[in-house]
Order: sequence, then structure tokens, then C-alpha cells
Amino acid sequence: MIPDWKLERFLTGDLPEEEMNKLRELEANDAIFANRVKMLREDNKAILSKLSFEEIAEKIAEMDAENAAGKCSSVNGATSGTVTDSVARFRILKLASAAVLVLAVALVAFFAQRETTVMNERVGSDVASVQETQNTQVALAETQSDTRIKGLDARMEVWKKTSAGIAQLNDLDSVGEGDEIQLRYAVPEKCFGLLFSMDGNGALTLHMGDGVKAIELAPGKMNSLPFAYKLDDAPYFEKFFFVTSPKEFAVEENDVDKLLKRSDVKVIGFTLKKAGK
Amino acid sequence: MVYRRCLQLLRDDAEASDLMQDVFLRIYSALERLDMESPSSLLWNTATRLCLNRIRDKRRRGLDVDSSSLLLSIACAEDEHDDYETKNVLAKLFSKEPESSRTMAVLHFVDGMTLEETAREVGLSVSGVRKRLRGLQAKVKTLEVK
Repeated sequence: MIPDWKLERFLTGDLPEEEMNKLRELEANDAIFANRVKMLREDNKAILSKLSFEEIAEKIAEMDAENAAGKCSSVNGATSGTVTDSVARFRILKLASAAVLVLAVALVAFFAQRETTVMNERVGSDVASVQETQNTQVALAETQSDTRIKGLDARMEVWKKTSAGIAQLNDLDSVGEGDEIQLRYAVPEKCFGLLFSMDGNGALTLHMGDGVKAIELAPGKMNSLPFAYKLDDAPYFEKFFFVTSPKEFAVEENDVDKLLKRSDVKVIGFTLKKAGK
Repeated sequence: MVYRRCLQLLRDDAEASDLMQDVFLRIYSALERLDMESPSSLLWNTATRLCLNRIRDKRRRGLDVDSSSLLLSIACAEDEHDDYETKNVLAKLFSKEPESSRTMAVLHFVDGMTLEETAREVGLSVSGVRKRLRGLQAKVKTLEVK
């Protein structure tokens, strides 16, 4: 007897391929099982016709409106929201709702394309030092990509661990020595990416990459780097750079500015001020 | 799937419809932070957890609950790991916080998943699931973890 939960997964196409094939075969050859599947499919249609999703749609619109209102004052790329983003998110949920009830396969297909997750590796700590003056200019420079359209561009989030839990940071928030920082990112399409930071001592730290080379990133959900990053006693600031490009690239340890000025890369910057420094 | 799951656990059409909306809204609000490797599992487990909370809340308020005694026992069991509502979603950023023991108990004892299937469902090892269920067993005497 196939349990209900497995039957539901069969309908959504969310079982391992081997099991899917087994159940497809069963549906073709076992009249009782085929009838259970048929009844569930009919039930899906009945549920969709009976329940209105207008209310969910309205609540989602409200949530997005609140989010957009809360975020529009920020010019920081990592936290800005847009109408485009809302529409995209709304579509995702509409898709999810419909998929679970009727077009379940579509939902799984949508998320399945997000499944290819590129494993990220944090590489070492400091890999190079450059001249402090030059670094400061680089670190404090605003890049064009700092303001971007969320959902259509690469994104980076910076979170801090606190005694009460964790909190998302905004650009130019203050942090202190010993604070644990977690970095997250997402890209809208397959590309190469590198994530590094520079502190007030001019030390460059690579957080994600193959040495100084960018690694291939898969599009989809937000990815957390596997390790949190503990801030040291470097003064003034810690600025994070998330650099992406359709082509392979690398950062030159002694000339970060050169990479940031390239026309074929997109840069998201995020600066944390060091409290009391 | 979500509506049927809610109806199965709550046995009330209106409540199931209400909870189903809640499931989608909760997931939507945390969409970017959630692990989307298995959307069906996410929907199923979220529905389970919210239904358990609903059953427990009703019971605490002294309202009638039309649930099996097993489900009622699980729903009302104290679970030290059951802090998902308040911090789990965000805590996931720093560490993979496992699903609540009560949800695991429903998957295993009510849905009939094997320990292996339950483990796969919640992303824990079999021994991890067994340990958590045994912890819950101390509070719900009718559970028998093999």
C-alpha cells in the first residue's frame, strides 16, 4: 500500500526518479492504485474550484507593499525592493499555489532548476595586503552596482549573530571586533562570482572563490556561505564586495581597484563601520 | 496537497482552508531564506507544524479538538526543539536547525514514514531522528520508538 504522503509526492513529481518510474508503472498496471491517483487529481480540481486564492493574493500584495515601503528609503542594493521583485515573488507563490493544487509538476520543475547548487568554499583568510591609502579609496568608493534592481541582479546580504539571534545588517551599520558576520548571496543567472572584503588595515580577505579566481555560481535561492566570518580589530570599516561576471575573472591581490573598474563585471558593495574606531 | 494535509490533521474544512493560506504565506514570507531542495517536503512539514500548533492552541484554550488521541498527545507534548516559529527560519542562516520533534513524530507515527524516510524528510540522520523521537517518547507514553 502506497502511503498518502508518497502518493502526494508522486502527484507533484517530487520523488526520486527511480520511485517515480516505479509508481508510474504501478499506475499503468494496478487499477486500484490508478483509481487512487485519479481521485486525488479530481480532488485537486475540486479544491481549486472551491477555494478562492484571491485572499492569499491580496495578503501577498499587502506583504509586498509593506516590504517595499520599508525598504524604499534605503539606497543600499542589498536591501532595496522593487515592483519587479514583488511581481516576481507573487508569480512564484501563484505558481506554488496552483502547482500544489493542480499544476504540481510545474512547481517542482520550477524549484528543480534551483536545485543545482554550486558549493561555495571559503578560501583562507587574508591573502594579500595592499597600500592602505589605495585600499581606503577602493573600500569607500561607491560602485554603480550598489543600487540595483533586486531580483534581476545579483544580491548580497550581510547578517550579524547576536545574543538574541541574528539580524540583517544595512549598509553603513556599525559593528565591532569579534562580531560574527554571515554572508549570503544569490545570482539571477549562471555566472562567475567572487566575494571578498577589505578592512581598514588594507587587508583583503577572500570569502568565496577558488583562490583569487571567481567560481561558477548557479542561479536561484539565496546561498549562505558555509562559515561565518569573525571580525578582527582592524579599524574604520570592513567593506564586502560581491563581484560577478558572465566570464571567468580573478582579482589581483595588489590591485583590487582594477577589477572593480572593469566594465564586464558587476559589483555589489556593502560597508560596515567599525564602532569606536 | 496542502489543503488535504491540513484537513487530515484538523478535520475541519474552514480551519483547513485557513491554515492552508497560512502555510503559503509563511513560506512566501521566508522564501529566499528557505531550503527549496524539496518543495513538497517544505509544504508538507510546514502544514504539519502549523496544524500541530493550531491543535495545541485550541486544547490550551479548552476548545474541543477533533483529533485522534495520538495526534493530540503529540501536538501537546512539550518539545524543547520546537522553537521553529520564533527563530528557526533565521537560525538556519548560521546552522541547519532541524525540524521540531513533534513534526517528526507525526511523520513517523501518523504518516507511517520509516525512520529512514523521516530522516530524509527532515535532513537528519536516522540515529538523530531516533534520539529526538525517544526524547519525545518520554513525554508521550503511547509512542514506541523502535
